[in-house]
Amino acid sequence: MSWHRKNGRLFLDRRTLLRGTLAGGLISVGLPPLEAMFNVNGTAYALDGVLPKRFGMFFWGNGNRPERWTPSSAGLGSDWSLSESLQPLAALKSKLTVVTGTDVKLPNDAPHTSGAAGLLSGARLGNILDDNSFTAPSIDQVIANDIGGDTLYRSLETGVAGSNGNSFNGPGSKNPVESSPFALYERVFGDTFREPGDTEVDPMLGLRQSALDAVIGHIGSLNARVGANDKIRLDQHLTGIRELEPRLARLQEDPPDLAACLKPGVPNNAYPDIDGRPQLALVNGVMSELLAMAFACDQTRVFSHWFTDPLNDLLFPSASAGSHDLTHNEGGDQPEVQANTVYAIEAFATLLTALEAIPEGSGTLLDNCAILASSEVSLGQTHSILDMPILIGGSACGVLKTDHHFQSLGGENVSKVTLAIMQALDMNVNEFGTDEAHVTEPLTGLFA
Amino acid sequence: MKTHSLLLTALAFTCVSCGTDAPVVRDSPVSSEPAATPPEPVIRRLTESQYESSVHDLFGEDSVLPLRIEPDIEQDGLLSIGSAHNSLSPLGVEQYEEASFSLAEQALAPGPIRDAIMPCQPAAIQDADCARNALSTLGRQAWRRPLTNAELDTIVALSGTAADIRGDFYLGLELGLGTLLQSPYFVYRVELGEAAPEGGRRYTNNEMATKLSYFLWNTAPDEALLTAAENGELTESVALNTQVERMLDDPKARQGFRNLISEMLALYELDELSKDPNVFPAMRTGIGPSAREETLLTVEALVFDRQDDFRSWMTTRDTFVDQNLAMIYAVAAPNLEGFGPTHLPDDGLRSGLLGQVSILATAAHPVSSSATLRGLFVRNKLLCQDIPPPPADVDTSIPEPEPGALTLRDRVASHLENDFCATCHSAMDPIGLALENFDGIGIYRETENGVVIDAHGEIDGESYDNAEGLGRVLALNPGYTACMTDTVFGYAEGHRPTLGELGLSEWLLERFEQEGYSMKSLLREVATSQAFRTPSEVVQ
Repeated sequence: MSWHRKNGRLFLDRRTLLRGTLAGGLISVGLPPLEAMFNVNGTAYALDGVLPKRFGMFFWGNGNRPERWTPSSAGLGSDWSLSESLQPLAALKSKLTVVTGTDVKLPNDAPHTSGAAGLLSGARLGNILDDNSFTAPSIDQVIANDIGGDTLYRSLETGVAGSNGNSFNGPGSKNPVESSPFALYERVFGDTFREPGDTEVDPMLGLRQSALDAVIGHIGSLNARVGANDKIRLDQHLTGIRELEPRLARLQEDPPDLAACLKPGVPNNAYPDIDGRPQLALVNGVMSELLAMAFACDQTRVFSHWFTDPLNDLLFPSASAGSHDLTHNEGGDQPEVQANTVYAIEAFATLLTALEAIPEGSGTLLDNCAILASSEVSLGQTHSILDMPILIGGSACGVLKTDHHFQSLGGENVSKVTLAIMQALDMNVNEFGTDEAHVTEPLTGLFA
Repeated sequence: MKTHSLLLTALAFTCVSCGTDAPVVRDSPVSSEPAATPPEPVIRRLTESQYESSVHDLFGEDSVLPLRIEPDIEQDGLLSIGSAHNSLSPLGVEQYEEASFSLAEQALAPGPIRDAIMPCQPAAIQDADCARNALSTLGRQAWRRPLTNAELDTIVALSGTAADIRGDFYLGLELGLGTLLQSPYFVYRVELGEAAPEGGRRYTNNEMATKLSYFLWNTAPDEALLTAAENGELTESVALNTQVERMLDDPKARQGFRNLISEMLALYELDELSKDPNVFPAMRTGIGPSAREETLLTVEALVFDRQDDFRSWMTTRDTFVDQNLAMIYAVAAPNLEGFGPTHLPDDGLRSGLLGQVSILATAAHPVSSSATLRGLFVRNKLLCQDIPPPPADVDTSIPEPEPGALTLRDRVASHLENDFCATCHSAMDPIGLALENFDGIGIYRETENGVVIDAHGEIDGESYDNAEGLGRVLALNPGYTACMTDTVFGYAEGHRPTLGELGLSEWLLERFEQEGYSMKSLLREVATSQAFRTPSEVVQ
């Protein structure tokens, strides 16, 4: 055996460890062969010259002022220009799609939550009085289940100010949101992150895989005793373990050599509020850099970034009251609500700019993405879920038109936008949503 | 279907009777516990605070807890109910896995924790007997039951392999301990029951130890409980009563009840308290945690020191303040640092829970008070009534205030003048307006914009003049004591009383009343009830 010492810990040479594991030394009773957990064809990182497509979700809460949002004309290129609310995206107009006039078709029976569930999961809430859970997975997870499997992290969920987000694996199964840039950095670029050429592998990684086998055995024995609802919960737990297994395996493989991948700098430990106001733009900027580099290093291909939550009452930098409070209690044409919307769009522009700054292939990382931005309502004052605010950054490798304002005049189903994005990401799907949200056709006008 | 939702469903469709429901009229006093039909038993994930206290029980207070564990999600007003229904996310699984090995590494590194937890000294790198001994001892504590031989075989074998590869007994044992700690048998409370000898079902002895311990102490069972369980005592009424008495007299019962109140009032939200310091110059870092501690100290003293009628929670002027709160309450701080007891002025309007910053500041906006949010708090948390959300597609903006609308009462008048809004807002706003003498952070004021605040109102037919009067009316509102009973029951069982448990819930309330509304009695009553000991059968 050949050992290396690093940071006071002993590391076994990777080849030695692999010999050991494949000889069966780590396999405990009645469990599947360990080699099955390794990526058989080794394509985990080998991009084979084809750049992967990525999906991102940017969400802000409490909607917009539609009359200052919708561009005055529709079309491509010089046919349309950015509205007042979209001005922060001026430098990115050529990479942008604006969709206006599409509606959430499900009943709007719980303000802020019906719209979020309808837009993000294509399904109604289970119980309007107990609105903690969606009844179907959110689109980031539907997409991650399809395109996220080959990377270390099937998806990442982030926020900037303690957001709870709305990323659901299914009913009663919500993905928590990481709002600390430092914690996200530690997870994605911390101890386990190795640069190309670093061949030292921690022997605990292989051993931890075998511990998971024992835990799977415990879940199996417990599963035999519980009722139907608990079986679903334990199955969800098992899903988490099944994601962890290949990750531990891949951490023992040689890291890929991706030209654009640079380990980012370590973020601050904390970004305290100033005068009772969270530093939303600052934290969003740091998070955006980390998310862009997580894509560039192929640590993940799907993220959802919950800038602010539905119904949030955060104090924005120059606001005189909380965000949600303002949507209902500010008079006139609500200049402060408008300022908060513009602030969110600035944050979206920061995220797109971080993706645009990274070269990839003959273009930029953003070109290989579809980044969807939206909110749970349009006009917050009335909780309207008609004419939803929809932005898409990137073309998913040229599949989506860009520099485009698509105006749906007939109030089309917003699920058609979702389906179009899924198809642009090469997912083999022909329908999305349930009940009134169900569609079998994408919004074809978005395709190039 | 939960009783909670029953009330709600009616409201959701009619939206007329919000909060006007008459208290349940009970028949003549019930003397013996009625039979109940509970829902199917489910496994409950340890809440964050239960995970933390259980780890500390295993490895001592010096063990450094992991940075992050899957957060709890509240359901029906309690994290304890959410923990019985929600699923763990993939990130949660990843965090448990990392936490398990981080804790195992700390525990088995040379030092005091290892010395305290190891029952044997290894003779060599490979010492299966010592590994088995250690894993069996730690496993029994962590899983709250003895491990089977087959379970031990696997984990001992894993430790042996790891000891070989890592060249050290303890480094090998880390793998076994890390496996124990990420196992569903540690992470979930498995309380599914067994066939009772006399027929029907019962919770097993070990399940009783776990149920009692997390209910009354919010942590894992201690050695005495585990031993009592292994001696078969916890399925016997007399021995069970003895254990419950012991547990209620133990200081850990305070920690357990503090957690119940923290969940009930969502006091964890005080960590995120956000107020505009330009509007509220009293706002400073630490106000939120101070306010939470005041509420917990007050309720702890009421239940465990004074052992008062629990209804006095709504009216008491005995509280605890630190420098932060003394400034807001305009009273002298008893201590330079930390908290000390104080008696609020008898002629002031500040009394009871509703006079505390923890409630006044959270049921409010970042820049102002809120009659609606405060009224909603009373309905939701103190009366266990839900108010349907406002219908969508309605313009919810309050009309521009008239030039003369200087107080919140004037500004929300439109809620109450418009029949459509009034159906629900009349159940909330009048309650919240009673608290208008306290601003958005809880500082007393007599006027708003120079106009004297009118805080009178009525709730469920009982009128009051101000905040202090509201507290007195609430203390006597039958909905309040019923809500406390159902909240304690829901916290213990992981669900609010269902249709099959309505009689039981009424009986518990009856017992609460007969015992002079002693909270300790209610805790005892729940913990020793047949219902607490009797699950229904799992339907496979």
